[in-house]
Amino acid sequence: MSPSDVPLPKVLAIDDSELIHRLLRVRLQYEQLELHGSTKAEDGLRLARELRPDVILLDIEMEGMDGFHVLQVLKSDIDLQDIPVIFISATASMEDRVRALDLGAIDFVGKPFEVVELKARVRSALRVQHLVKMLAQRAQVDGLTGLWNRTYFDRRLLQEVSEATRHNRSVSLVMCDVDGFKRLNDERGHPFGDMVLERVAKILQGGRGSDVACRYGGEEFGIILPNTAAIEAIEVAERYRRAMEQEIWAMAPGMVITSSFGVAEFRNLGADAGVNDLVQAADGALYRAKLNGRNRVEAAMATHRTA
Amino acid sequence: MRLSPDLNTVRSEFAGDPDMSEIVALFVRELPQRIAAMHSALTAGNLEHLRLLAHQLKGAAGGYGFPKLGEAAALVDQGIKDGCDANVIRSRVGMLAAFAARIRP
Repeated sequence: MSPSDVPLPKVLAIDDSELIHRLLRVRLQYEQLELHGSTKAEDGLRLARELRPDVILLDIEMEGMDGFHVLQVLKSDIDLQDIPVIFISATASMEDRVRALDLGAIDFVGKPFEVVELKARVRSALRVQHLVKMLAQRAQVDGLTGLWNRTYFDRRLLQEVSEATRHNRSVSLVMCDVDGFKRLNDERGHPFGDMVLERVAKILQGGRGSDVACRYGGEEFGIILPNTAAIEAIEVAERYRRAMEQEIWAMAPGMVITSSFGVAEFRNLGADAGVNDLVQAADGALYRAKLNGRNRVEAAMATHRTA
Repeated sequence: MRLSPDLNTVRSEFAGDPDMSEIVALFVRELPQRIAAMHSALTAGNLEHLRLLAHQLKGAAGGYGFPKLGEAAALVDQGIKDGCDANVIRSRVGMLAAFAARIRP
């Protein structure tokens, strides 16, 4: 996965009246959005988790779980709490409006709604959500290469290691460093060095869809490989190594730029190991690859083997 | 004697809107069933369900171009919320039904 896909925004309407869903489908049909709907609060919450909508339109009065309750569930879920919620309700009482806003709703539209106003409020919420998402993403993307940055790497690696531990799956880490990069920079200038980093990023991005390529810092890259054992991770790293070695540099014909790789699998590090141990193990292997002549892949040795 | 029975009918504010014609027609076609369901709830003494049906109609009718129908439904909704006498509720449902009978797409 890479940080650069922009799909149509999704709007999820949760309202117990089919009449309202029909109306929304017609009234929002020309808007640049994908409309989803649910007539039951519980189904709506399930859909919210599945779809990760950009805006939720929520009715207050529903049989069973009411809108306030749904809003509380949304706001207490770390994955859903940032989705803006617009209340749509025929209950016009000021107390309800205040309560909805205090619980974290971004806006309130009365029923029957004026179509133009509803569209404007949905657009406004989508704009806010777009900016929030963009800011969140900007803060996680490396400006030069477009890869995920170090902040994202740290968070994602922790998440993948926890997931792997919980489900007893393997996760591997590949650290990659461009050989002789400092000399390249000194001899050919920084613009050339930047171009090399961009090209390396492109190669790393062209790997398997599930691999997460990040710029770790300077000329060093970290690739997180979920669900991948060391033996397979070594093959992946070897493919990258070959691709870089074979890259043709139009600005410097005949030039060969290589990279070294260190591979580590979390399960091989023993029961007490943490995320930092994984980074250290992969970094140690990378160091050995450098010592052993560069342009090669080294793997951390299995110290302990846990189930 | 009425010269034209059409004078008595109520049409959707969105009658000329081609985007709306299909769902307005569906709304009008389903309206007698909704009113019948409200009568059943009233007869069964299930005021909570009656209120829910009235509340849904109150919220939606305006969107289909029938704001007065929404107001009539709101009176039923509010009456039950306020704990009004059964006769009051019955008469408000009656008014709602009478108004609904005049509705055309």
